Amino acid sequence: MSDKHECDNACKVVTMPQPATIVEIKDEIVDVKTFYLDIDDKEIAGKFKIKSGQFIMCTVYGAGEFAVSLPPSPENDRFHISVRQVGKVTRALHKLQVGDKVGIRGPFGNGFPFEDIKGKNVIYVAGGIGLIPLRSSIVHVLQNRKDFGRIILIYGARSPKDLMYQYNIDEWLKIDGFETYITIDSPAEGWKGETGFVHNMIPKANVPVDNTVAFVCGPPVMFNSVIKVLMDQGLSDDSIISTLERHMKCGIGKCQHCAIGRTLVCTDGPVYTYRQIKTLGEQI
Amino acid sequence: MYLIKKSEVGKIAKALAADYQLYGPYVDGDSGQVMFDRVDDPGVIDLSAAIPAIPPKNVVFPQMECVYKYKYDRQKKSVETTMVNSVKPKALFGLRSCDLTGMRVLDRFFMGQEFVDEFYLNNRKRMFIVTNTCVTPFAQCFCACTDSGPAAKEGYDLNLTEIGDSYLVEAGSDRGKELAEKLGLEKADDGYAAKKKAVVDKALDSFTGFATENKAWVSRVTNRVTTGFIKDEVWEYIGDQCFECGACTFVCPSCSCFNIEDVNQADGTTERLRSWDSCSYEGYSKMAGDHNPRKPVEDRRNKRFFCKLSYSQSKKYLRPGCVGCGRCAWVCPGNIGLPNVVTYIRREITK
Repeated sequence: MSDKHECDNACKVVTMPQPATIVEIKDEIVDVKTFYLDIDDKEIAGKFKIKSGQFIMCTVYGAGEFAVSLPPSPENDRFHISVRQVGKVTRALHKLQVGDKVGIRGPFGNGFPFEDIKGKNVIYVAGGIGLIPLRSSIVHVLQNRKDFGRIILIYGARSPKDLMYQYNIDEWLKIDGFETYITIDSPAEGWKGETGFVHNMIPKANVPVDNTVAFVCGPPVMFNSVIKVLMDQGLSDDSIISTLERHMKCGIGKCQHCAIGRTLVCTDGPVYTYRQIKTLGEQI
Repeated sequence: MYLIKKSEVGKIAKALAADYQLYGPYVDGDSGQVMFDRVDDPGVIDLSAAIPAIPPKNVVFPQMECVYKYKYDRQKKSVETTMVNSVKPKALFGLRSCDLTGMRVLDRFFMGQEFVDEFYLNNRKRMFIVTNTCVTPFAQCFCACTDSGPAAKEGYDLNLTEIGDSYLVEAGSDRGKELAEKLGLEKADDGYAAKKKAVVDKALDSFTGFATENKAWVSRVTNRVTTGFIKDEVWEYIGDQCFECGACTFVCPSCSCFNIEDVNQADGTTERLRSWDSCSYEGYSKMAGDHNPRKPVEDRRNKRFFCKLSYSQSKKYLRPGCVGCGRCAWVCPGNIGLPNVVTYIRREITK
């Protein structure tokens, strides 16, 4: 049995970054922008297939490389990344304009389950920019609605202007049967939606327990309280799924910077069930 | 099996120097340290030298290397990326079996998993390896405990074993055999297999100190580390002594963590450099935005010993990472080289 990496997924992209052009930039919230990208090499672009939950390594020429999750759905969605400027490389990225180039390696990682969760109820719980990696799965599941049971989104941010993908949320609110609970931490002028922390929305949403998976992503404080409420509701630890982030340099399981427990986030993750997270024995 | 007179063993090195960049052990005139590095004159190689201060890991995995260069012209919106390839293959002459084992751990890690590391492959392919059996162990060695010496078992092209006034030359590959035939080496009769065994057995018997007292304990501790039944206090005790200097990782033949940095050059190109990194550094796991999931030193320290002393690394390395060279004990200012870690865990188990 060969355990060599074998795929038709434009393997060249593993070690050498492929140039891609920024075709559009959208301001999301403070310090967060969405960059729509086109891979220059048409042959590679044609073969470039992603799974929801995977990530890429993005090179900002002259500054360095960073790992970033992929928000687009694998089906019929424009390729883009949403990035908060927080370090040296992401700040350099935010200075780029339409027409500039970045380098792409990937996609890497295991990705969210999709085929395995068909027929189940799906709950998404996100906080702040935790919506970015979940967006991929949300859009993908909505594109295949007939295959799933109840679909629930519980999303919270500090204030109305901290809500990611406002334009998507506006669409989602209109979708019949997509149960959305958008909440902000404390009341704000002109805000008509929910108020309070995301974990308090879970009982309110009357979430299903049997035949259900929950995707959770957000800052560690939010993560822990959401997990507690979901478990209290009766969800099992292997039906709670999250995606972790780590400092990464290579993306292909060599540099070891993303080691967590005995796994590597880049090749064994970034998607873990809560049952797995508990056995890692490390801070998330 | 072949024989070559001790005085003539340089012939092999000389023959290799014609087709390869030659690396070998020699005593550095200024510092008196044993180095294993590029040699222009095969005559300086000293096969009787002690194990080199730094393992020849940098031959396959340089301490710092430029893996590729790129040039981004923001005006023209053009990107040129060029991979940096070394041309001439390398030959290692007089490698000790612990260092060979370390290199094979790296081979498995970089080339034997899902993704193959092209830059490592580029350094490793076409490499010619001549190993040298240790006839007497050095003071800090414990390869007998880690199944990595004193004689190399596989993975070499030629293996030398000092027997009397000659070296027994064993070919481990077709290339090795070809070279031995080409040099017209004298054939050794079958009796030399037993003579070699006697030499190796004698070497095994002459280990002292840690290696003799802990032969079984290294496996037992490895078992404990694998199963995770070690109290946090033990790791905290070990962490308390760590200076976070990273020396143990740099002298370890099987440590492979690296960092990648883009460095802008004056001519407008950018070099992507990869360099050795150490899991003992605080910044190792720190993310942009300053979130650091592994802040306490013991959290980072025990990860290194998981790599060195655990079967859960088998998928990566095919064996626990420690090869028993003892260099970490040599360099550690905090006295937590691997032998002492084994001792501390042993103390905990027997408490």
